[in-house]
Amino acid sequence: MRRRFLLAFVLLAVPAAAAVEDAIDVAIVVKPEVPVDNLSMADVRKVFMGERQYWNSGMRVTLLVRAPVARERSIVLDKLYEMTEAQYRQYWISKVFRADAATGPKIVYTNDMAVELVKAIPGAVAFVDAKKVPAGLKVLKVDGKLPGEKGYPLR
Amino acid sequence: MKLLLERIDRLEKRVAELESAGKPAPAVAAAATPSAPSMPGMPGMPAEGDSSGPSFHLAGFSDVNFVASDQKGTHSGFNEGQFVLHMSSALTQKVSFFGELSFTARTDAGTGTPPATGFNVEVERSIIRYDYNDAFKLSFGRYHTPINYWNTAFHHGSWLQTTASRPEMVAFGGSFIPVHFIGALVEGNRHAGGLNLTYNFGLGNGRGDVVSRGGDAGDVNNNRAWLVNAFVKPDKIFGFQLGGSLYRDSVTPSGVPGAREWIESFHIVREKEKPEFIAEFANVRHTPTNGGVVSNSQAWYAQVAYRIAPKFKPYYRYEYIHVPLSDLLLKKVPGLIGSTAGIRYDLSTFSALKFEYRSVKRPGLPRANVGFMQTSFTF
Repeated sequence: MRRRFLLAFVLLAVPAAAAVEDAIDVAIVVKPEVPVDNLSMADVRKVFMGERQYWNSGMRVTLLVRAPVARERSIVLDKLYEMTEAQYRQYWISKVFRADAATGPKIVYTNDMAVELVKAIPGAVAFVDAKKVPAGLKVLKVDGKLPGEKGYPLR
Repeated sequence: MKLLLERIDRLEKRVAELESAGKPAPAVAAAATPSAPSMPGMPGMPAEGDSSGPSFHLAGFSDVNFVASDQKGTHSGFNEGQFVLHMSSALTQKVSFFGELSFTARTDAGTGTPPATGFNVEVERSIIRYDYNDAFKLSFGRYHTPINYWNTAFHHGSWLQTTASRPEMVAFGGSFIPVHFIGALVEGNRHAGGLNLTYNFGLGNGRGDVVSRGGDAGDVNNNRAWLVNAFVKPDKIFGFQLGGSLYRDSVTPSGVPGAREWIESFHIVREKEKPEFIAEFANVRHTPTNGGVVSNSQAWYAQVAYRIAPKFKPYYRYEYIHVPLSDLLLKKVPGLIGSTAGIRYDLSTFSALKFEYRSVKRPGLPRANVGFMQTSFTF
């Protein structure tokens, strides 16, 4: 009886939770000192694929990427990289092996950790749940839209 | 539902605490800057103003092969593929080092008479680079010559390439195009109205006495080779790359007359998996300095692959090489009309198994059929 109850809970809870997950917007956050306010989706892709490595000649981009299984990571892999988890890993190994990039992204385990590191590292950029962006960070517009606005692409 | 999401957040934080408690402190961390671990297999970047030293990172690639052929005089059997070590080190935020070292099994690399089998060690790449910004990066060292896509996309990492074997125009130890370049390179990329133009301009030693080798220990003449390479990756066609290059050298090999060399090459690539597509063409023009016959040698290949399931990717490649008899510098490069078909099975995220069949026809020789099985991996 207890097992049936548990199964019923899981069957009800998982689709509902997935529906909530689908609805989250992923915000691209940087420090206010980063000299960029609005990026096209193609430009965001270039930043996160390591093809744009400098905001300007004095400020290097430091990528902060959520660890696997995070909802934000799934959205970014799907919408931005258009890659599976395995393809993403192979992409970065290949990128460093080609000498196109000296380093790969740094891993962050929570939204709080991402936010803390963006505040601390000059030029750092991260993607976090738009509902969890604290004051003091700049949220970049993507294709002219902020998270929550109609047509925001990282949803 | 809110409780469920809050619980997920609490669990994520707890995982982060446990993982950070179990990890050793990062080797390089600025005193005042919090640090995060790098992606597995990835080096880290020293923080600005950090004086604790370079962040050295070592990765490796290798493969083991089984080969069987109906060609006369060959034996079937296993062979150790290349064992490759790749080093990268961010010395500062703007200065980086990249190195690649290969160990290649050879029948004659050992000692004794006749020589025993052994391994040949080679510094494939050794590059120190200064980045001013994305548009201007200056480097010095030994490179894989950036006049060809395959040579600079996959280097010596068999696991990175879809197929087991390389196209013959860029074969290891081959001489159709100069595989290595010793000198200096300026490179960078520009937005260029959404075309995303990447350029390389290089000046270096060019081919050595043996045309398959670069001038590692110094140039063999007072003429420097130069190259220009450019490609675009348009925003509107994500994954698409189109490019070409020019290479100019004066070659003074031992045993045959010297020649002025022009190489023109083009490539078109789709770096996605449904489908993946790579095609390259190169023309090598040799004008003998003693006034002999001008020769043009051509090579091209086209390769297509398609990810049909998360672990399976079948592929096919057609390749062609033509070297006229008048081209004395490339007289050791055999002509070729060949087809390669196979399937790649990704055993895990970092290892693959490839089954491949090659059908090769060379001028004056019967068609050869070759079967490969390769396991390749990164570690």
